[in-house]
Amino acid sequence: MTLHKAAEQRDIIDSPEETAHLARTWYSPRGFPGWFTQVNQRMIGKRFIITAFIFFLLAGILGLLMRLQLAAPEQQLLGPELYNQFFTMHGTVMMFFFAIPVMEGVAIYIVPLMVGTRDMAFPRLNAFGYYVYLIGGIVLFGSLLLGMAPNAGWFNYVPLAGKLYSPGYGVDVWTTMITFIEVSALTAAVELIVTILRMRAPGMSLNRMPLFVWAALVMSFMIVFAMPAVIVSSTLLILDRLVDTQFFIVESGGEPLLWQHLFWYFGHPEVYIILVPALGMISTIIITFTGRPIFGYTALVLSVVAIGFVSFGLWVHHMFTTGLPQLGMSFFTAASAMIAIPSGVQIFCWIASLWGAKIRFHTPMLWVLGFFAIFVIGGLTGVMVASIPFDTQVHDTFFVVAHFHYVLIGGAVFPLIGAVYYWWPKIIGRMMNETAGKWSFWLAFIGFNITFFPMHQLGLEGMPRRIYTYADEMGWGDLNMLATIGALVLAVGFGITLVNAIWSVSRGRPAGTNPWNAPTLEWATESPPASYNFRHIPVVESRWPLWDWQRQDERRVVTGLRNDRREVVLTSVLDASPVGVQVLPGPSIWPFASAVAASTGFIGIIFHPIFFVIGFFLVFFSLVAWFWPRRPWRND
Amino acid sequence: MRVLEAVDVSGMSRFNPDRRAPLWWGILGLITIESAVVLTFCVSYLYLAAYAETWPPTGKVPPILWPSINLGLLLLSSFTMYLAGQGINRGDKRVLAIGVTTSVLLATVVLVLRSLELMAYEFSWKDHAYGSIVWAISVFHYVHVTSIVVGSAVVAILAWRGYFTRERQIGVVVDTNYWYFVCIAWIPFYLLLYWVPRLYVG
Amino acid sequence: MIPGTRSRAIVILGAGIATLLSGCSGSQSALNPAGSAADLIARLWWPTLVVASLVTMLVLALLLVAIFRAHKKGAALPLSARQSRNLVIACGIILPLAATIPFALSSFSIGREIDAPLPDGALTVEVVGKLWWWEVHYLDETGGRIATTANEIHIPVNEPVRFLLKSDNVIHSFWVPNLQGKTDMMPGRTNVTSVTANQPGIYRGQCAEYCGTQHALMAFLLVAEEPEAFEAWLEGQRQPAMEPATAQEMLGREVFLNEDCADCHAIRGTSAEGQDGPDLTHIASRRTLAAATTPNRIGHLGGWITDPQHIKPGNQMPSTELSPANLQALLSYLGSLE
Repeated sequence: MTLHKAAEQRDIIDSPEETAHLARTWYSPRGFPGWFTQVNQRMIGKRFIITAFIFFLLAGILGLLMRLQLAAPEQQLLGPELYNQFFTMHGTVMMFFFAIPVMEGVAIYIVPLMVGTRDMAFPRLNAFGYYVYLIGGIVLFGSLLLGMAPNAGWFNYVPLAGKLYSPGYGVDVWTTMITFIEVSALTAAVELIVTILRMRAPGMSLNRMPLFVWAALVMSFMIVFAMPAVIVSSTLLILDRLVDTQFFIVESGGEPLLWQHLFWYFGHPEVYIILVPALGMISTIIITFTGRPIFGYTALVLSVVAIGFVSFGLWVHHMFTTGLPQLGMSFFTAASAMIAIPSGVQIFCWIASLWGAKIRFHTPMLWVLGFFAIFVIGGLTGVMVASIPFDTQVHDTFFVVAHFHYVLIGGAVFPLIGAVYYWWPKIIGRMMNETAGKWSFWLAFIGFNITFFPMHQLGLEGMPRRIYTYADEMGWGDLNMLATIGALVLAVGFGITLVNAIWSVSRGRPAGTNPWNAPTLEWATESPPASYNFRHIPVVESRWPLWDWQRQDERRVVTGLRNDRREVVLTSVLDASPVGVQVLPGPSIWPFASAVAASTGFIGIIFHPIFFVIGFFLVFFSLVAWFWPRRPWRND
Repeated sequence: MRVLEAVDVSGMSRFNPDRRAPLWWGILGLITIESAVVLTFCVSYLYLAAYAETWPPTGKVPPILWPSINLGLLLLSSFTMYLAGQGINRGDKRVLAIGVTTSVLLATVVLVLRSLELMAYEFSWKDHAYGSIVWAISVFHYVHVTSIVVGSAVVAILAWRGYFTRERQIGVVVDTNYWYFVCIAWIPFYLLLYWVPRLYVG
Repeated sequence: MIPGTRSRAIVILGAGIATLLSGCSGSQSALNPAGSAADLIARLWWPTLVVASLVTMLVLALLLVAIFRAHKKGAALPLSARQSRNLVIACGIILPLAATIPFALSSFSIGREIDAPLPDGALTVEVVGKLWWWEVHYLDETGGRIATTANEIHIPVNEPVRFLLKSDNVIHSFWVPNLQGKTDMMPGRTNVTSVTANQPGIYRGQCAEYCGTQHALMAFLLVAEEPEAFEAWLEGQRQPAMEPATAQEMLGREVFLNEDCADCHAIRGTSAEGQDGPDLTHIASRRTLAAATTPNRIGHLGGWITDPQHIKPGNQMPSTELSPANLQALLSYLGSLE
């Protein structure tokens, strides 16, 4: 494809009037009513990120309270009812209301900038997904305040989660909130896939796509194929609870194990849905702070894709103690061990890239280096629990608690915080404080290891998960006390970043366009970006466009998009040659209205099945209003 | 830094009536997700059947005549949808309107027949796991037929008002694709609900 | 929950099983194996730990070399593409394969050894997970129940014992870390596991699958003893309850039968045939109460009867109000049920 279509390489001079016109076209309404009509991807992404971190904070506080309860044997801070609600909420919120939405939020904010476009493919759907998520999260925490939070664990095994053993609204709230998250995650996933495949800047062929965009793409496909399993399982569970179906009732031919299969068929990829975007963040940060192209771009892409595929073949390793046949389960041992290869390839591609580089040890880089130490341990314990005999000893003990916190916090949260430090200047326009950032990292790193490393030992010494108390003579007291102290240090570490972020909004040093000298397109526009993201859609000729431009002291762009309405370039899937122009919709109240309509239905069915019908028609009418073509009908 | 013009898109289409349109891909995503849901329902049905002592528990197979007629009607309605799409491809607004309306009517007949059939089921979803999964799948598909009926009714109204043109027809395209999906999804359900019990009992 | 409840629970817990498992913090530890399966798994664990530590150190050492190389030399010293490729192939592909293949194979063979079929005529114990305690039945060759007890399982040492694991409510998991890995108790299915204790001793087991409010206090003791001692114990458990020997005990039995106790508890040899709670025929022979929550002493038993919710909040035993005389009588009667 030749991109240089314009006859002579015309220099582009922008008039301030045209730029102002473009800014007005993409302007997001402000003020209270405006808040409900914004659709620009950066607004939605920012809201996803902030909301998710608020849930992270709340669920973290629940985790701290649990740690205080377990700090010493026979403590009396929390009773069994409260403790069971807390660990259920902690798991549910961290997995569904923090980890997925925050990764999606970062992707929603960063991906369109990274691929050089002005918004996402379906801006209103984006807004809809956010409102559904917000309403779901508020209702879930509301249930905790009302003392009717779910308490059957984030995995909700039946029959315990059935009506007979969990009466009351708790599990109903859980299933309903999961539906909210399914809807929100799936809309974001489809949105990201279409944006990545069809709206990349001209010239950004698949093999020039930034690694974070690859990771977001794989994450989105995984959401698309994993979520349906939990859609079906949570539907069957809520039907059992609300209208007395018999899916999981043994006496009527139901099968509790069906729940476990469906839940883990979703639940295992879920872990990798969280991990994969973090891998993309790591690559991004390493490239920038080593200041040179990464080694093994293709290997890194193939590894992420391979992790995505293999993660769908691991779910039974959560069920090694259920009495399934050994031989069949051994397949899952092999598959689980095989995931070590793509992980190993990634880690050593990064090490090769770091080798002998002039690394700038800024805060984002520290969090990434912290990732290595923690994730390697988490990955190795992961291989251990893939062994059926070993798993029968450590399954459902604190060993597993330690393992998945090493994977999830080390593998996902550390890179995420690094990414926050990295992209914060772009999002806010100001730098976060470096000294505070380094303190935050070291406290979190040390606190994390003090908290979770002893848990390996506790698990081997026979301490099961999900117990609210234990007797003194079990001998678990000292290590638990240590873990609790570590948790407080970890909390202080994260807390410093929170304060740092808030402080930087008004006081941070102005960031400028590209403070880290990074090579990807999000750094080609102002910080924070103007309403239209890019004054001109850039044209890309390599994987590192900004470094090219610096070297050549010139860059090429797309012209011919109108200023008076929201236009973006559509490009072909493989080589990103321009194929058309899409006119995107602007602000609208209907996504919010539809989210309210859907929520009415979802929440209502907890109380009466008729709300299914009411919700169906409310959503239908709001969608008609959403999509109804307004006159004058567009003719060009 | 010099900024040079490399690509001029001012002459490009703003309508993208086919698979160039993001919405076409969006609906493809929805269909992919829902296909996975359909597959998961099928797997759940087979899982429950595999662990059951008798399937169906009563040993009686469900009648097959009306579901087969429904299958025929759904496939026929897909064909009229196809004709409607062909019509607007030629710019023929009348064929579009008549085609979509015919499909909506055919699917409405399916809804009526399905309602009668559901009312005639000899078991409730409360009786046993078999009843639960049969009802769940039936209602799942029923709701989908309802959504294509009401959704396409809106498309039909817009078609009669002359909104769609050869260029401005992405709404028709995605509606048609989703329509195909709902009709095709009936095939695995039909085989599962009406033929698999015959394998077990027969 | 009322604060006072908890503090009482604590006191009792604290005084609790300390004496039983005194100071022996390894009585529920996978690292302190006393059974064949646990022993095999521990023998898989230690070399795995060594290899995993070496791998961790190798990766971190390479990482440190990588990041500090340029610092020391003051200039960038990157690997060539060829060196990078070799590093990735050696450490990213060959190393994981070399570490995981032997691990997976030995894990597979250990799994087969643990699952090896038991000899015919092995002692068979049926354990049913309850909310939140364990019902234990000893079976004869034909599968008939010959003795029923709760929360305390005796087995002969050095003999493989077959456990049939069931549940009639939610999922529980049967686990004695010193002896074997856990196996879930699935409603509607019977899972089988075998336990061979290699050393006599009292081992603690605990429910390992979250099962509701009192998952935390659902434990049991597994007593491995010499075959003669075991036979004597089982013979005792087979017998119906002893007849009261004193007037006080006689009154205690009346209290038991006339209050609500008999609705839920059985005492074989009397008209008490309740099935909801543990069988109390030989309660005095057990070491603990409330699923290994408190030691079985007369004071604790009195506290448990009058206010079980203080000791184990949320459990299914209601409190029983008794006059002091009746309580004393009931306690003497239960205390006589050796």
